[in-house]
Amino acid sequence: MQKNKEKLEQIIFNDYILKPFINQVHKDLNAFCINEEFFKYIELGKATSKIRDSLQKQSFVSKNIGLVVNDDLETYASIFAIWLEGLAYVPLHPLQPIERNIEIISQAEVGLILDSSFDNKYEKFRKINTNELLFTKFNLEINKIEDSELAYILFTSGSTGKPKGVSITRENVGAFMKSFFEIGFDITEKDRCLQPFDLTFDVSVQSYLVPLTKGACTYTIPHNQIKFSYVYGLLDDHKITFGAMAPSMLRYLKPYFDEIEIPSMRYNILTAEASPVELVDEWIKCVPNARLFNFYGPTEATIYCTYYEIDRKIENKSLNGMYSIGKAMKGLESVILFDGAITKKPGIKGELCIAGNQVTPGYWKNESKNKDSFIIKKINHNELRFYRTGDSCYFDQDGDILLFGRIDHQVKIQGYRIELGEIEYKVRDYLNGVNAIAIAFTNKNGNTELALFIESSEVSSDDVKNYLATKLPLYMIPSKLYFLKEFPLNTSGKINRLELKSLIK
Amino acid sequence: MNKTKITQEVEAIFRKVFDDDKLVINMTMTANDVDNWDSLTHMLLIVEVENTFNIKFKLRDLNKMKNVGDMIDLLVLKIG
Repeated sequence: MQKNKEKLEQIIFNDYILKPFINQVHKDLNAFCINEEFFKYIELGKATSKIRDSLQKQSFVSKNIGLVVNDDLETYASIFAIWLEGLAYVPLHPLQPIERNIEIISQAEVGLILDSSFDNKYEKFRKINTNELLFTKFNLEINKIEDSELAYILFTSGSTGKPKGVSITRENVGAFMKSFFEIGFDITEKDRCLQPFDLTFDVSVQSYLVPLTKGACTYTIPHNQIKFSYVYGLLDDHKITFGAMAPSMLRYLKPYFDEIEIPSMRYNILTAEASPVELVDEWIKCVPNARLFNFYGPTEATIYCTYYEIDRKIENKSLNGMYSIGKAMKGLESVILFDGAITKKPGIKGELCIAGNQVTPGYWKNESKNKDSFIIKKINHNELRFYRTGDSCYFDQDGDILLFGRIDHQVKIQGYRIELGEIEYKVRDYLNGVNAIAIAFTNKNGNTELALFIESSEVSSDDVKNYLATKLPLYMIPSKLYFLKEFPLNTSGKINRLELKSLIK
Repeated sequence: MNKTKITQEVEAIFRKVFDDDKLVINMTMTANDVDNWDSLTHMLLIVEVENTFNIKFKLRDLNKMKNVGDMIDLLVLKIG
């Protein structure tokens, strides 16, 4: 009993997230700038309270709450209301096909949806329209809820044709926040922080939690805006001081680098995909006073798990033109899996594996995937549970990690992880099982695009694309389609992906 | 070049970039109103407009463009 009490008193999620957030509510500070409109912390606190009130009136069969992730105050307030009640959010993107969201709702066994939209998309489900609720009293008391409860479930692309849910616990997020600030980011009430990521993508969690636990202001991107030019407007007009960005956004800004000067930027994080040295070295001049960091991390290890600070004065470490991903954050163990054994020896190339309290307890109700993705290995006489990242890496002499790329056929587009197999699966489904191969390639601008090869006589490309658009998010729709009577094969009789790739014009 | 002519040219560019022969533009149209109007197609659109009218936009200009009307007005200002 005594032991249990001690455990409850050290609740990492409350200490690093809920308490610091609630501490800001009654200060006269801006919490958000959304679509050029400012919202104070007190307004966020009121919105959180009214949503929590309505959650408390519900009875729950499932603790997983669907959240339609609009770009508004109610959506962010919903996250805190859900967390204060010990529940988990499952983001549903309003611009993704409804069919995919319904698949997610059913897989995650969502029993209630919070929605701030003014439409009736989810009328068949039990739903709370958060924009219709009225504030009556503050309801922000923090309860003792076990850190082992879930905080969110994010669905990522799965090769079986169905998205798979990554369950992230309160301990996972709390541990992330603790080690993130231990790196030395000094964020205060004076900071203005960028949140350019969709809430279906986990870097968004860092992007809103860092400011909201420090009393700083969070600047978001409306869904109907062209991201790169809007982000530039925010950086320049609002003198942003802290922000994580994806290298693909920098590629869009590259033609205009000579116009961009953001001296206000203090910390700039590059993440979501590999950071090209050439691009970042040009960008670094646009943010002359910023410390630059390359952060790496799969959703399964909660947002980021390794980082490398890019030093302006020296030649930095890189491999194949991509910056090193550095060392593991505090509290995490990183190793290379090679030939069934783990090692930290420099120079051995293998699969990067991560252990520690940021690692997910597993995929939501997916035993077979869990068996494949986690391994128990002994290190310094301790048994640890490692997540296999699927990334091919090695350690250098100083223990910094250098990244080759994906071991399997997962690729990243605009920061989203995509299993090419999911796209191929949908095409085969549509065209009665014909062979289909999706291949990622680098376009003239240096961004990743998808090409789709179909083994059949020509059908309408538009029909295929339109069909896929009802099944998959926009970033998963291939931009180029090729019809081949027969696919080229390699010597082992497998489809020759390299030869297919050479056909892309 | 007058505004009507510029608008016609811009409409032709939209039809090409969004691969839709029947696309009709109007002054209040935004990225919300056109399928596939995202960062990638926006960049293609900008490059096509710059090449057609032989001009170069500033990033500041792009940021101020909230709808098709803003783009046309800017073109009128630059070449009208």
